[in-house]
Amino acid sequence: MYLKLALRNIKRSAKDYVIYFVTIILIVMLMYSFLALGFSDDIISMSENMSMLTTGMTVFSVIVSLISSYIVSYAVQFMLRQRKKEFAIYELLGMEVGTIQKLFFIENSVIGVLAFGIGIILGTGIVGILAGVVKSIFQVPHTYQILFSSEAFVLCVIFFVCMYGAGIVRAVRIIKREKIVDLLYDSRKNEMFSKEISTRVQFVHVIFGVLAIVVGIFLIGEGMSQQSNATWIYLVASVILLLVGLYDIYRIFPIMMIKFVKKNAKMKYTECNLFFLGQMGHRIQSSGRMMAITAILFTLSLSTMFVGLLLGAGYKANMKVYYPYDVGVAIDAPFTKDSLKSLISFVDSKCPVQDDNIYYLYDVDEYSIDALALSDYNKLRSMLGFEKVEMSDDEYLVHCDTWNYTREIEMAMKSQHEITVTGVELYNPQSKIYQEAMEQFQMAGTNGYVLVLPDHITSNLPANKIRLVLKLENEGIAELRSEIRRYLNSGEWVAEIQEGEELPEQVTIGVTVQAWGVSNSLTGFTSISFCSLYMSIAFILLSCTILAFEQLSTLDKNRRSYQTIDRIGVSRTMQRKLIHLELATFFFIPFVLPAIVIFILMLSAQSLYSSYIMQENIILLYGFVTIAIFVVIYYLYYVTTCFLYRRNIIR
Amino acid sequence: MADKKELLKLEHIQKWYDCGENATKAIEDISFSIQEGEFVGIMGASGSGKTTMLNCISTIDTVSDGSIYLEGLDVTAINEKDIASFRRENLGFIFQDFNLLDTLTVFENIALALTINRVPVKQVDALVQKMAEKLNITDILEKYPYQISGGQKQRCACARALINNPKLILADEPTGALDSHSAKILLSTIRRINVEFGTTILMVTHDAYSASYASRILFLRDGAIFAEIQKENDTQQVFFDKILNVLTAMGGDACDVS
Repeated sequence: MYLKLALRNIKRSAKDYVIYFVTIILIVMLMYSFLALGFSDDIISMSENMSMLTTGMTVFSVIVSLISSYIVSYAVQFMLRQRKKEFAIYELLGMEVGTIQKLFFIENSVIGVLAFGIGIILGTGIVGILAGVVKSIFQVPHTYQILFSSEAFVLCVIFFVCMYGAGIVRAVRIIKREKIVDLLYDSRKNEMFSKEISTRVQFVHVIFGVLAIVVGIFLIGEGMSQQSNATWIYLVASVILLLVGLYDIYRIFPIMMIKFVKKNAKMKYTECNLFFLGQMGHRIQSSGRMMAITAILFTLSLSTMFVGLLLGAGYKANMKVYYPYDVGVAIDAPFTKDSLKSLISFVDSKCPVQDDNIYYLYDVDEYSIDALALSDYNKLRSMLGFEKVEMSDDEYLVHCDTWNYTREIEMAMKSQHEITVTGVELYNPQSKIYQEAMEQFQMAGTNGYVLVLPDHITSNLPANKIRLVLKLENEGIAELRSEIRRYLNSGEWVAEIQEGEELPEQVTIGVTVQAWGVSNSLTGFTSISFCSLYMSIAFILLSCTILAFEQLSTLDKNRRSYQTIDRIGVSRTMQRKLIHLELATFFFIPFVLPAIVIFILMLSAQSLYSSYIMQENIILLYGFVTIAIFVVIYYLYYVTTCFLYRRNIIR
Repeated sequence: MADKKELLKLEHIQKWYDCGENATKAIEDISFSIQEGEFVGIMGASGSGKTTMLNCISTIDTVSDGSIYLEGLDVTAINEKDIASFRRENLGFIFQDFNLLDTLTVFENIALALTINRVPVKQVDALVQKMAEKLNITDILEKYPYQISGGQKQRCACARALINNPKLILADEPTGALDSHSAKILLSTIRRINVEFGTTILMVTHDAYSASYASRILFLRDGAIFAEIQKENDTQQVFFDKILNVLTAMGGDACDVS
């Protein structure tokens, strides 16, 4: 009986439920598809560290469900407001409060279960697409597959019950608390208008906001120049200041705009502008805080999405920089070069070797720095396709591809023009530092920098560290790293020590394989970009829902306003235009800030980092991808809200 | 009265609502006319068809049969596209619940009627000020509706209705939401508008005292005109008594005569 009544009620108030319903579907779909991706055996088995995706998705799902529970209770309360009168009539007719609560609970449960089911079905479809995207990132051949994950499903059920249950229980409690008279006449209550903020106070707010932003930007600059943990303190303080400043300006700016436009008689008294300005002024007054908060939420979401995608992309695109050699073996022991010949044969049996280079890093005790012979340095350069370097017998040069040491080394070279190695004075006439990517985990120097000395000097230095770099015919396979490690640690490999040298107590062996690095970086890329996508889309969905409900909750009041202008002769066409304009402005205001911030982010990322990221135009591409995702979701909510709003107002 | 022009004419209008097999008749058959400058009251019990009739005249609702003419123009034949301009150029409305926009000040509420009618911007200020003086609301022009009393709100609504010099003012229970003191002031104002500006007014009311301000009253019962009385040279008290007599003859339950 109750179920029948509840179903009939749902059917009747379908228009109130539609945005709520769609949001729940989208959240469940999002949660399930990302969780299922994180739990997919297919995906996890693609790389060693892929389980970080699973952890990331689970942690973010907790955050998403916490925020969603707030939205659910907001939405449920909105629907409660729409139907207070109906509940009051049930009570007047003698229905017990408990029964009404039960009815409301059943109604919402039916909607919840239905939305959850649809969300899971859609999510199952989406996860196939997401898995395809991940596979194409890893360049693994794939076809579309429908994936169902029982772990993801169970987690979704738990999160959903928590977030949805909390929302409904709150609403059901409200029904019990309210008196019939309040339920019955709730819509007739006088609307409280908050007092208009005076021009003087507005200016104080603007000055405060601008100051906070300026100080925030200054602190970012300061923080970036610090090379210690204090950077974080600066960054946190600057983020807080920027957010407070933006919120303050965002809250006041639309009020000032309306005031400014109203001062222009021509603009104000043209056709229905007066009505529009009145509507907007009131909206900004009553929902300004929410609009400012939504704008900041959007900005954070979009920035997260953009930075996430970019970090991921940068990670992927820069792998060639991090791993310039196909294989690099670093052994900090005075072995002979012949010792590594068997290793080359071993690798060749797994992946054909195209070119090899075995060389030493020499100890320069005077400066506690490693040195590289010029001939070895040039061989490495030619392997990597860089030009050869020439220098005379009394010169030296520095190679440093770790940016944070560059400035210090430059200053040291300026203050001291010559160095003395084995009693010979060497110069670096132009104080030049070579910065091409050659380091690959101690292959050229152990601290990210190395002295390059003429061969006649290095021949007199102790060669305590041996290095091997290989160029492979087909870039190799990720498993090569563990194979080489296994080979070096097994008894198969026998190493000889140089004459007169001793084996140190502990021998450090480092093996780097480009194919392994790329595969791992892809894991990083996938995890960072997918987690940021997940969070940001969830945030955008939830913020859009708040915006839409904020609009729909003013329906009753606005219907009266539009009826009034209808009677005094405003045509239906004009009314439709006004509704569009009103909603577009309401949706546009929170869009301005994120749009500006993303634009600035794109430009600054392009000018600062484009030279570090090898893939051309990737910053702009991801900027536009971010904006496109946002615009599509935003537009969907705008159109639905517009449709519902118009249908309710112009009957 | 003979030298005055006929402004509004209703010819055998009928209105019924279809509810499946049963059609409910709201207006049986009504015909009457109003001369320019007249102040006509429409009285009747709930369900007598007075509000339906007013809605049909104001083009908010359509008739099922018959015609309504305003200065010879058949209102029922105006197409959807032209209805809004017809309304704003010819009619003024005063509602029981004021229908002022809460988001605008009193000044802006009145000015809105002008701007919708595309009155040149330069004239807006002066016209609103002039109308506000006539209705004695100059000192509340910058206030919002929620800051003023019911009587003031209704005078503001009157100003908005009059500002475009409409041919006909339609008032639907204008004193319905006012206390007796405010109602008296408003009714005097409406009468003054009628006498001084020669504005034609059609007022629907179920209150005999309010109706006594009119110059002619039509009594509706069950969707048809039951009776019609003229004030002519009677005092307001005499006219009021006449109204009560008709109401008694109609059954006595049509209104509150206390």
